[in-house]
Amino acid sequence: MGKKITTVILALGILAGLFAGCTGNGEDKNTLKVAVLESAYGSEMWEKIVDEFEKDHEGVTVELVAEKNLEDVIGAQMKSGDYPDVVHLATGREAGLTETMIRDNMLTEMTDVLEMTVPGESVRVKDKLIPGFTDTLATNPYSDGKTYFAPMFYGPCGLFYNRQLFIDNNWELPETWEDMFILGDKAKEKGIYLFTYPTTGYFDAFFYALLASAGGTDFYNRAMRYEEGIWDTQQAKMAFDTVNQLAKYTEPTTVSNANNDNFLKNQQLVLDNKALFMPNGTWVVGEMADAPRAEGFEWGFMPLPAFNNGDRYSFTFFEQLWIPKEAKNPELAKEFVAYLYSDEAVGIFAEAGAIQPVKGVSADLKGDSKLFYSIYDNGAKAVMGGFAATEPVEGVSIADSLFGTIDSLVSGNKTLEDWMNAVKAASDRLREALK
Amino acid sequence: MRQRGQKVFAAICVAPALILFLLFVVYPAINIFRMSLYRWGGYSANQTFIGLENFRILFSDERFYRSFQNTILLIVVVTLVTIFLALFFASVLCRERLRGKSFFRIVFYIPNILSVVVISAIFSAIYDANNGILNSILGLFREGSPILWLGDRGLIIYSIAIAMIWQAVGYYMVMYMAGISAIPESIYESAALEGAGRMRTFFDLTIPLIWTNIRTTLTFFVISSINISFLIVRALTGGGPDGASEVFLSYMYDQAYTNSSYGYGMAIGVTVFLFSFLLSGLINGVTKRDPVYL
Repeated sequence: MGKKITTVILALGILAGLFAGCTGNGEDKNTLKVAVLESAYGSEMWEKIVDEFEKDHEGVTVELVAEKNLEDVIGAQMKSGDYPDVVHLATGREAGLTETMIRDNMLTEMTDVLEMTVPGESVRVKDKLIPGFTDTLATNPYSDGKTYFAPMFYGPCGLFYNRQLFIDNNWELPETWEDMFILGDKAKEKGIYLFTYPTTGYFDAFFYALLASAGGTDFYNRAMRYEEGIWDTQQAKMAFDTVNQLAKYTEPTTVSNANNDNFLKNQQLVLDNKALFMPNGTWVVGEMADAPRAEGFEWGFMPLPAFNNGDRYSFTFFEQLWIPKEAKNPELAKEFVAYLYSDEAVGIFAEAGAIQPVKGVSADLKGDSKLFYSIYDNGAKAVMGGFAATEPVEGVSIADSLFGTIDSLVSGNKTLEDWMNAVKAASDRLREALK
Repeated sequence: MRQRGQKVFAAICVAPALILFLLFVVYPAINIFRMSLYRWGGYSANQTFIGLENFRILFSDERFYRSFQNTILLIVVVTLVTIFLALFFASVLCRERLRGKSFFRIVFYIPNILSVVVISAIFSAIYDANNGILNSILGLFREGSPILWLGDRGLIIYSIAIAMIWQAVGYYMVMYMAGISAIPESIYESAALEGAGRMRTFFDLTIPLIWTNIRTTLTFFVISSINISFLIVRALTGGGPDGASEVFLSYMYDQAYTNSSYGYGMAIGVTVFLFSFLLSGLINGVTKRDPVYL
């Protein structure tokens, strides 16, 4: 009998062990859960920020999660109801977590954060930000004047090239698309291709700027809201035509490496003087820091060429920070967000190379960064945002239709017409699902 | 009384495993079926019941059909070629007098213990259009522009198939070798005395005697082709170029996460489940033979 009891106890023990991991954590009003994507800037700057914030806010504990695969870490917790209070994770990632939050209306409105006074200072958040950053679809996804995202680290996107190559060959930088393709023919004679791209995903910033140069900012915003007939306009055709022509000047092996695992090989083409231009963002310099390069290689960066005598545009990419609707501590979270725009925090971030859209920050930059951030001072116009939020439409993705198809244009498997039809079809479906 | 006690004891012993199984296999599986009837982003509390709407969309979704085609092509090509190679190598390594048998056994098995990421890295080096081994060797015999193994829409699925076959041959070879070495040597001897050649013994003795073995592996082929193709596609091509290498599960991931259509993703999951279930059943039925006893 004694043996039996022991067995039963042991078996129950195993059962109890199964559920041991399922206990919940107690909630605390003074605990702030911050989840950030560990990107090229590293996570050290976030640790410093947390330390400083805790110093200024007695009794507050910040639990920081900084991961490269942030979605995998917090996604599962969020599904079980355990939400972070502040999340730094931009749209455009493969796991689409931030997009899902927008589509499912799961964000806390942050318009009031803009009116808050920065902790420890006497200025409002709004007055520190560079104007324009909180008027975009990337911060106000429902275009109802309400802000749901705080704009964080930003950087201009445009065309990167080897400056030395232009000096050696006495080539001038093309200012219009006409010049661009003339240069393409000249370069071909030397065995250099005009264009390459890391993956078709990089065409987002490129195509947005292209749309703006073809039809201005207003036209661009209408396209971003899937306006009916927008893709049939003369301006849209100009943009489509340009990419189609560019496809013919693209380094032919680009397509086979245009995926998340081999895109560095395409970027390497520029470093090796095998291709002249690639669309990219300022992070590429750090990303390729250890890569071998042609002798005398120097990074060059320019906005997109203009159409005829029009304006030149560069897309401004910025990362977003948000507060989930389910956050346990939204007030403290807002306080934290406001703190991120204090001189102290801005300085910590800038030291790591992460530049926020705060007035006066880019003035102190040095080296390559100075060159990149100065393009707007040199006449280029900025374009921001992205496609408007829609309800999810099963099987339809504007990114796949508008950017993904470019691979097939380059490889010759699809025609300009196929591409335009695919974009129109996707746009029509998404317009019906607009929020 | 004693018997009853034994039953209770057995039940208690089985309980942990059973509970784990119900909790982590059966419950999620049922949940997938349930979720495929909802429109849901994956996180929020608002799940809308839409009946079979997800399946209706699915059957008019061109991109789903493309991933379906790619998966079927991979299942067929990978299974046929792998079975052929694995049987050939197994019978050579078991039946022939060969130097360095165990060396080859290890060499063939190694790809199977490598992680898919490593395999993808190896194949991306092999397939590289500019400096890859394959194009460098072919460059000795042909002129003109390089072949884009990972960039050509027509070639890419075969490029993936080759990587999958390379990865799988060793595993199935070992399974078949186990079967072949269980066949008594005396049978082969008497066959030899009767004048049967190598081919004859292979088709009339070896294959029938390991038939149950082969049947089991056919089901494995269906399951592993669906799974491994997803891993390799994720790590080697990301579904590109322009979706040309999209397979079942990569499309499911794309819809459930990137496109925020979790319910739709689950509908794809259900379709994959039913498809592999039916296909395995079909293969099992078609390949049924009376077992040969020795």
